[in-house]
Amino acid sequence: MGVGFRVPGVGSDKALAYLLLAPTLFVLLALSIYPLIHAVSLSLQITSGGIARWSPQNFVRLVSDQFFLAALGHTLIFAVVALTLEFLLGLALAVLLNKQLRGRSFFRAGLLVPMMLPTVVVGVIWRLMLNPNFGAVNGTLKGFGLNTAALTWTSSPRLAMFSIIAVDVWQWTPFMFLILLAGLQAIPQEPYEAALIDGSSAWQTFRHVTLPLLKPAILVALLLRTMDLLRVFDQVFILTEGGPGFATETLSLYIYRTAFRFSDFGYAAAMSFVLLLITNIISAFYIRLLQAKES
Amino acid sequence: MLRRVPLEHRGAIEFTCLKMKRLSKYILLFTALLLTLTPVYWMLTISLKREGDQFAVPPRWFSFSPTLEHYSDAFLNRSFGQYLLTSTIVAVCSTFCALVIGTIAAYALARLKMPGGLNRKLSLWILSTRMFPPIVTAVPLFLMMRDLQLLNTRLSLIILYTGFNLPFVVWMMRGFFVEVPRELEEAAMVDGDTRLGALRRISLPLVAPGLAATAVFCLIISWNEFLFALVLTQTDAAMTLPVGIAGRVTQYEIKWGVMSAAGVVAMLPILVFAMAVQRYLVRGLSLGAVKG
Repeated sequence: MGVGFRVPGVGSDKALAYLLLAPTLFVLLALSIYPLIHAVSLSLQITSGGIARWSPQNFVRLVSDQFFLAALGHTLIFAVVALTLEFLLGLALAVLLNKQLRGRSFFRAGLLVPMMLPTVVVGVIWRLMLNPNFGAVNGTLKGFGLNTAALTWTSSPRLAMFSIIAVDVWQWTPFMFLILLAGLQAIPQEPYEAALIDGSSAWQTFRHVTLPLLKPAILVALLLRTMDLLRVFDQVFILTEGGPGFATETLSLYIYRTAFRFSDFGYAAAMSFVLLLITNIISAFYIRLLQAKES
Repeated sequence: MLRRVPLEHRGAIEFTCLKMKRLSKYILLFTALLLTLTPVYWMLTISLKREGDQFAVPPRWFSFSPTLEHYSDAFLNRSFGQYLLTSTIVAVCSTFCALVIGTIAAYALARLKMPGGLNRKLSLWILSTRMFPPIVTAVPLFLMMRDLQLLNTRLSLIILYTGFNLPFVVWMMRGFFVEVPRELEEAAMVDGDTRLGALRRISLPLVAPGLAATAVFCLIISWNEFLFALVLTQTDAAMTLPVGIAGRVTQYEIKWGVMSAAGVVAMLPILVFAMAVQRYLVRGLSLGAVKG
């Protein structure tokens, strides 16, 4: 806006802004904030004989619920192991593809496929791959003369958690790879030239030039993946339904079961706040790291 | 090590090293690509195999006589055609609503200055609504839809997916609007255009590619969504494709050919769409935090 003359309509900018924002704010209040408040009130009430009364009992129950604690443990193990593997593999792939390479866009497009698939379809794919009797994994191993009788994957108490982690790594390593590759390509050439002149080895250059400059992209990728891993539901629901027994029951799955199989909405709401709290603490931690970088 | 080698040989050695390095790189990349695509290919073959071939050991990767019987079984004899229709209607309608509502809000946040740093605060608040785990709102939203008597309707999913996509649309489109030079609109307004006229004639055409990419992302998100569809729809008439597939997978006797055929059909449009927005992929997936 120039000084000294008024651009027509600028005076009403504020009113127009509120008008344009109103529908969005209404929808978000109705579909995000109201449900959140409703969940708080549900979690703080218990119903007996059709009468609801206020009570902290749902939260007290959390501490002594073995199933809840086990589900929490499964979720954390799942998230930490999958995040680590996805990050390391994704970084390796990104570094491999960062240089000029024949067929680079072909590799990039191919490697991104799993991330795009509906998680339900990923579930179907891996049910087919891991089926103990006719699945391609055991079939191939048998072809090499291995005894696969013990390898029942998703229905084995020992291998079920490993299986769902492996499937998640298969589906989401491409996401890490994509974000980190974009981060690598945004790094300017000059620091590398300086490192070359200083005679740094490839590892030193990677450690002292690439990693620090890649840090913002790394943090964003880790943040987004962590949030998704903590809420994992779809793949586990399709692959194991939390089983065998309780071996792969994650928090989202247990909450789902509590609410929609046992109709215990209050307790489900209480558990969902624990999940929300963990998610918030972890994302606040990442965001602090990100901001520390910026300033 | 290289220093002890006579000068005239160094070039050759360096050349060989380079070639070895490049070769190992390609081997690694091909291995990764193989691991990535083989499972998808396996599902495709199962959807095309007769039952005898499906259960063969060792697995038949290439040698089988293809058939389309599972596709016709799934989509003509069973209800998968209906699920497909529901998924399409829900994805298209919710995308359209989210785009209309979200784009104007994004414009306001990017262009119209509000007092007290409200632009930034509101942007962050809108983004934060997308951050909490969906299971947290699943219970109250289920109860809400039950009270509104909208359980087992497509409308309930259209409403919810509009809500999910909205923060995404606002955040993406805000980024695109910020990139349009302010001066272009101001010039139009000096020439007597109104604010909204300038938006329609100047900014909107300039952000059109971004709008298209955002639309594709919304379609993908709605198409793939599972948890809420599972919670809200249990009847054949209202079920989306993912819920229909999941319901069959967790049954005891599973028709693998039918499942795979449905899986292939659920996957194909997504892959086509995703290839179309490759340029915007990084931006869309990181909610604009990383510019690809």
